[in-house]
Amino acid sequence: MTGLFANALISAGLVVAVWSAVQLIANRPIGRSLRVAMWVLELMVLTFAIGGVVQMIMTDHDFAKLEFVGYLLGMCLIPIGALWWTRSDASRAGTAVLLIIGLVTSILVLRVQQVWLGPSA
Amino acid sequence: MPRPRALNQGFGRVLIVIYAIFAIAATARSAVQLSTQFSQAPVAYLLSAIAAVIYIVATIALARGEGVSRMVATIAVAIELAGVLIVGTLSLILPSVFPHASVWSGFGSGYGFIPLILPIVGLWWLYRSRP
Repeated sequence: MTGLFANALISAGLVVAVWSAVQLIANRPIGRSLRVAMWVLELMVLTFAIGGVVQMIMTDHDFAKLEFVGYLLGMCLIPIGALWWTRSDASRAGTAVLLIIGLVTSILVLRVQQVWLGPSA
Repeated sequence: MPRPRALNQGFGRVLIVIYAIFAIAATARSAVQLSTQFSQAPVAYLLSAIAAVIYIVATIALARGEGVSRMVATIAVAIELAGVLIVGTLSLILPSVFPHASVWSGFGSGYGFIPLILPIVGLWWLYRSRP
C-alpha cells in the first residue's frame, strides 16, 4: 500500500496534472494523448484498488477497513468520470478538469495510505 | 462586458467536477461514519450526512443548469455557505459539541478550506452566469 506502485500512481497523477497545466497555458484542447494518459491513470487506479483490497484481506493489522474500501471505490470513479464529463469538451474548462483530477488522484493515494497506516501513525 | 455563459459551461464545468468530488467523498465518508461510529458523535456525523446530501443536490442542479435547477442550485449552495460558516464558528467556540471532525468543522480546514471557498465561488458563478 505504501510501496513502489503507490508512488508510481502518485507520480502518474502529478504527470497528468502538469501535462494538463501545460495544455491549459498553451490554450490547447485536451487531445488524444492526454486522454490516453487518463485511461492509463484509470487502469492504475483500478490496479491499486484491487491490490489494496487483496492486501487488506491478507493483513491482520487493524485499521478503518470500511473507510479504506470506500476511498478505493471512490477513486475508481474519478478518472473515468472525468473522461466522461470531458468527452466532447474542447474548451479550456475540460483541460482544467483533468488538471484537478490528476491532483485529486495523487492526494487520494496519500489519504488511502494514511488510512492504511491507521490512527496511530 | 463578456456575454453571460450557461451555468454548466466553461468554468461551470470545472466547478461541477469539484462539487462531484466532494459529493462522492462526503457521501462515502458519511456512510462509513453513520454505519460504524454514529453513537460516538451523532451531531457531527449527522451534519456530515446533511453536507453530503447538499453536495449531491448542488452537483446535480449545477449540471442541469436551467430553470428550476438554477434555483435549486442557488438554495443548495447558500445552505452550504451558511452551514460551513455556522458549523465552522461553533466548532471553534464550542469544540465540545464537535468532538469529531465533520467536513465543515474549522471552516473546512481539514480539506484545505475548500468547503468554505467552494460555496462562495459557486454563488459568484451562479450570479455571473445568470440569464
